[in-house]
Amino acid sequence: MINIRRLVTPELQQRYNRQGRILGLVGGVLLIIAPFLPWAYSSDALDNMTVLGYPSPLQFFGLALGVIISAFLVLQQALTQRQKKRVRVGWVPGAKAAATGALIYIALILLSIAAELGGLVNIVYGGWIALVGALLAFIGTRLIPAGRTPTLAAATAPAPLEILAIAVMMAAALFAAAFALNHDDAGSFVTFIAFVGAVVAVMIRSGVMGWLSAVSQRYRKVLIFSAFVVAFMFPFTQGGSDANMSIATQVMIFAATAMGLNIVVGLAGLLDLGYIAFLGAGAFVAAILSRSAFSTVGFHPPFIVVVLISGTVAATLGLIIGSPTLRVSGDYLAIVTLAFGEIFRISMNNLDGTDGPLLTRGSNGIPAIPDLVLFGFNFAQRHELLGIPLGRFSNYYFLLLLVLGLIILVFTRLNNSRIGRGWVAIREDEKAAEAMGVNVFGLKLFAFAGGAFLAGVAGSVKAHQDISVTPDQYVFLESAFLLAAIVLGGMGTVLGVLVGATLLKLMPEKLRFVNEYRLLIFGLLLVLMMRFRPEGLIPNQRRQLEFHEEDEELAERISEEIAETGTVKGAT
Amino acid sequence: MEFLQQLVNGLSLGALYALIAVGYTVVYGIVQLINFAHGEIFMIGGFGALAVWLLVPGESLSIWMLPIMLIGGMLAAVGVALLTERVAYRPLRNAPRLAPLITAIGVSIFLQEFVRLFFGRIPGFPDSKRAIPFPQIEYVTGEAFNIGGVTIQRAALFTLVALAICAGFLYVFVNKTRLGRAMQATSQDPDTARLMGINVDKIIMVAFALGAALAAVAGLAHGLRYTNIDFKMGFLAGLKAFTAAVLGGIGNINGAVVGGLVLGVVESMATFIPGQFGGSAWKDVWAFVLLILVLVFRPQGLLGARVVDRA
Amino acid sequence: MTTVQGTGTAALSVDGPILVAEHVTMRFGGLTAVDSVSFRVMPGEIVGLIGPNGAGKTTFFNCLTGLYLPTSGRVVFNGQVLPPKPRKVVQAGMARTFQNIRLFSNMTALENVMVGRYCRTSAGPFTSIIRGPKFRREERETRERAQQLLDFVGLGHTTDSLARNLPYGDQRRLEIARALATDPKLVLLDEPTAGMNPQETRQAEELIFKIRDQGLAVVVIEHDMRFIFNLCDRVLCLVQGKALIEGTPAEVQSDPRVIEAYIGTGPDDAAALESELEEGQPDA
Repeated sequence: MINIRRLVTPELQQRYNRQGRILGLVGGVLLIIAPFLPWAYSSDALDNMTVLGYPSPLQFFGLALGVIISAFLVLQQALTQRQKKRVRVGWVPGAKAAATGALIYIALILLSIAAELGGLVNIVYGGWIALVGALLAFIGTRLIPAGRTPTLAAATAPAPLEILAIAVMMAAALFAAAFALNHDDAGSFVTFIAFVGAVVAVMIRSGVMGWLSAVSQRYRKVLIFSAFVVAFMFPFTQGGSDANMSIATQVMIFAATAMGLNIVVGLAGLLDLGYIAFLGAGAFVAAILSRSAFSTVGFHPPFIVVVLISGTVAATLGLIIGSPTLRVSGDYLAIVTLAFGEIFRISMNNLDGTDGPLLTRGSNGIPAIPDLVLFGFNFAQRHELLGIPLGRFSNYYFLLLLVLGLIILVFTRLNNSRIGRGWVAIREDEKAAEAMGVNVFGLKLFAFAGGAFLAGVAGSVKAHQDISVTPDQYVFLESAFLLAAIVLGGMGTVLGVLVGATLLKLMPEKLRFVNEYRLLIFGLLLVLMMRFRPEGLIPNQRRQLEFHEEDEELAERISEEIAETGTVKGAT
Repeated sequence: MEFLQQLVNGLSLGALYALIAVGYTVVYGIVQLINFAHGEIFMIGGFGALAVWLLVPGESLSIWMLPIMLIGGMLAAVGVALLTERVAYRPLRNAPRLAPLITAIGVSIFLQEFVRLFFGRIPGFPDSKRAIPFPQIEYVTGEAFNIGGVTIQRAALFTLVALAICAGFLYVFVNKTRLGRAMQATSQDPDTARLMGINVDKIIMVAFALGAALAAVAGLAHGLRYTNIDFKMGFLAGLKAFTAAVLGGIGNINGAVVGGLVLGVVESMATFIPGQFGGSAWKDVWAFVLLILVLVFRPQGLLGARVVDRA
Repeated sequence: MTTVQGTGTAALSVDGPILVAEHVTMRFGGLTAVDSVSFRVMPGEIVGLIGPNGAGKTTFFNCLTGLYLPTSGRVVFNGQVLPPKPRKVVQAGMARTFQNIRLFSNMTALENVMVGRYCRTSAGPFTSIIRGPKFRREERETRERAQQLLDFVGLGHTTDSLARNLPYGDQRRLEIARALATDPKLVLLDEPTAGMNPQETRQAEELIFKIRDQGLAVVVIEHDMRFIFNLCDRVLCLVQGKALIEGTPAEVQSDPRVIEAYIGTGPDDAAALESELEEGQPDA
C-alpha cells in the first residue's frame, strides 16, 4: 500500500484523472460481464464455475464488486459535480477499496482453482477476463484523486429508513455467517472471507460504515434486539445439521468466556493469564455435581443450583487470586495469575485418589456427563420448530446465547456506571484514583470475582455440552488464546471481542491446513497486533488513546467526536 | 541421609533455575520488562546444542563435543534473543505496560511452535513434535557418584560447576568491566546513563545476550541431566526461573542465583510434606505457592530488589 | 451561592479546629523529612504552607492525606484520628490536588469530576446491572453535580473535552473541581499556581476565595510569596522539616528568620525572596 501511494503521486493523479476513470469503468464492466462466462474446466473447484450464462454464488460476488466499482464512479460524476451538499459520500475511496478488494478476490479464486485442479491451465477464459477487469479497475481507480474525506456519518434519514438499514445490515451478517459455515472447502471459505473484507472496506472508505455506526448509536435498542434475533435465527439456517452447530456452540462458549475476561482485562486493566481456570472450575463443579456415573460426590442438585454453585466456586477462586492485587500490581500480577492457572491445572490432575483426595479423577477427568433437562426440555432430543429440525447442539446454542447475552449485559452496564468510571480511573492513574476516594482494591477484587463468576457459569454449561471434562482442556495456552481474541478484536469492546473470538475459533475449524499452524499464527498475531494496532480491529476509543499517549491528532479527533455524540465510543 | 540427598538434588535443580533466572533479572533490571519468552530462549539453547551435535558427523560422545555444543547453543539462544529484542520489544519501549507483556507471550508461543514445526524438517533431524533424546556426552553423564550414601548424578554436578563458573564470570563482568559498570548505571537510571554517553540500546542488547548465553548453558545442562529435550520444556522452567528471580529480588543478579538455589531446595524438600499433598506430584504447586506468598508478603525478595513496582 | 451545597453549614457547625496535626514526624531511613510539626486549621480559614525547596512541604501534605503513615505524631481531622489510607481520608472530608497534575488524562473533564463523586455515591454491582430508579437518579445527580462544579471553577464549556487536551491552567482548575466533588470540608492545594501566568494566578486566587466563601478550609503550598501573602489568613513556614514560624502573613513576612532560612539555600533565592517580600506588602 505504501509503495502504491508513493508510486501514484497526486500530480500523476491530476494528469491521468480522465484516463483513470475510463480504465476503472472498463474494468468494472468487465467484472460484471465475466461472471456470466465459465471460469474453470471442472466443477470440482470451489462452486460450479463452468456454466455459461449462470453465475455461481462466488462468481456473483465478483459481479457485485464490479457493480460497486462502476456505479460509484458513475455516481460520483453524476452527483458531486452538480450540487454542493454538506453530506459527502466517499465515492472514489469506495471504488478504490472495491477495486483493490476485487483484485485480491479474483486472484484468490484463480489461485484456488489452480491449486484444487492442478495448474493454471484449468482456468477458462472467463476467469482471465475477470482478472483483467480487476486489474484495470485497480489501476484505473488508483489514478483518480481521492477527493475529500466523506462526511456521511453526519447524515440523517427518516427513522423507519434508518431502522431498516440496521435490519438489512443484520440480515447480511446472518447470511454471511451461514454462507461461510456452509462452505466446507478451504478455498471457498477464504475467498468468501476476502469478499466480506472487500465489502467492509468499501463501506468504511465510502463513509457508509460511519453512517451505520452513527445510526446504531441512535437506535441502540433496535440494534441490540435485531442482533439477538439474528443470532437466534442462526440455527434455523442449518437445516438440522449438527456439524456447524457444534462449531457454533464452541464459538459461543469461547466468546462468552472471552467477554468475561474482557471485564478483567478490558475494563479493569488487569492482565489475567490464568482465566481459563475459572471456566475449568465451573466445568469441574458441574461435572462433579452432575448425575454422571463417574461423579465423585453424592450430591446432585438441579442444574439451576449447580450453575450458582459453579459461579460461586469460581468467584471464590477469583477472590483468592485477586487478593494479591492489594500488594502486587502490573506485570507481577500477571505472573501471579499465571502461577495460579498452573496450580489449578496440576491440582485437577492430582485430585485422582492416589496423589490427592478423589475429586476430579485426575487426567481422565469426568466423562459421561448426562445432557441437561431444563423444565422438562431435554437437550439431548431433536426438536422441531416451524418445520425446521433443531438438533442437540442447537439446544445448547440457545442456552449459550442466553449466557452470552447475560455476560454482555453485565459488561456494558458495569462499563457505563460508577464502577466502570472507577475502573477507568484506576487504569489511568491508580494513586490518583485512590487519593480521590476510589476503592481501588475493592474494584480490582470485584473485577476478578465478577469475571470469574461469569466464567464459572459458562463452564457449567460447557461441562454438559462437552459430555466430559478433563484438566487438559484448561491449560495456559487456552488462557493465552482468550487473551488473543480480546487483543485482536479490541480490548474493552463488545463487538470487537465477539469478532475476535469468532475469527480465532472459526478459522482453525474451517481451514484444516491452518490447524497445524494455529498456534504459530496466533503467537505471531499477538506480536503484530501489539506492534501495529494494539487497540485491536474494532478499537475502544479510550483504549486507543491509552495506547497512543503521544498522538495529539488522535486526541483532538476523538475529543470532537465525543462532543458530537456525548459519549466515549467503544463499549457497544 | 534422605535429607542430604534431597538437599543435593535441590541444589542441582536450583542451579538450573539460577542459570535461567539471571536472564529475567538482568533484563528486568534494565528495561522493567518480564521477558516471558526467556524460558523459550533456554529451550532454544538446548536445541541449538543438539543441532550442532547432529551437524557434526560421527555422532561422537567425546567430551570435546561439549564446548562445541555449548557454543552452538549460545549462538542460537543469543541470536534469537537479540532478534526478539530488536523486532518485538524495542518498538514498544514507550508503550503501556500491557503491550510488551502481551508481546512476550506471543513471542513465547511463536518460538515454541516454530521449534515444534520446523526443527524436525531439517534433513537428518529427528521429529521435534515429541521429546528428542539428547546426546549423553562422556564424563558429564553416566554412572553417578556415591559419596557416603548420597548419590550425585554427573550431570547434576556439571550443572553446579557450570553455575559456579558462570556466577564468577558474571561477578567479574558486572563489577570489573566497563560494559558491566555501564549496565549497572543504566539499571539505576537509564536517562542519566544516556546523558553520560552510555548507549542504552547497546546495554539492553548486552543484557538480553548475557541472559540468553546463561540460559543456553542451562539448556545444555538440562539435556544432559534429563537425557532428552522437547519444545515445551521452556514454559515450566521459565516460570520456575522467574519465581527464582522474584524470590531473590528481581533486578538483583546475586539474588537470582540465591533464589534459584533456594527454590530448587524448597521444591526437593516438598517430598517431606506429610500426607497426600507431598511428593513430586505437588512440588510444582508448592513452588508456585511460594511465588505468590513472596510476591504478596515480601515483594522485594530475599536479597531486596532495586525497584519492585514501577507500574 | 448554592453550588457547594451542604458542606458549608456542616463545616461551620464544628466549633474547634477542623484539622489538628500533633508532632508529625516522618523519617525515610536516616533522613528526617518532617520533624515534629504541629499545625491546626480552623473552618473557613485559608492557611499557607511555605518553605524553601526540600523543606518537607509535600511530605507533610502526604502525611496529612494518608499517603504516608507518619513515623510518629498524629493527625486528627474533624475530631477523629485518620487512618493512613487516602481513601478513608477523602471519605472523612479532606481532598487534595497534586503538585504535578494527576488527572485521568483520557477521560473527559466531566468524567474526571464524576470520579470525584465516587466516594459520595453508592451504586453497587447489582444496582448498576439492573438499572433501577435509584441507580438512574444517582447517575443523573452525579452528572448534574459534576457539571455544576465545572461551572463553579469556570470550566463549564469544557464538559466533553479530554483532560489531556485542556490547557495547563485549565487542568489545574479541573483538579480542583475533582477535589471539590468529594464534598470536602478541607481542601489541600499543592502549588496550585505553578507554571501559571499572572492573569491565571489572579484567577486561581479568586477561585480559592470563592471556595473559602463556601465555608471550606483551604491549605495551600506555594512558592509565589505575593500570592500566599495576599491569600492566606495564616502562614506556616517550614525549614528543613521543622516549623520555623507560624503567624499572620505580616508576622511571617517581617520575621528575619524566614529571610535567613531562604538565604541559607543560596543568594539568588534570597534576593528573589526579599524582592518578593517587598512586593507582597499588603495594600502596597
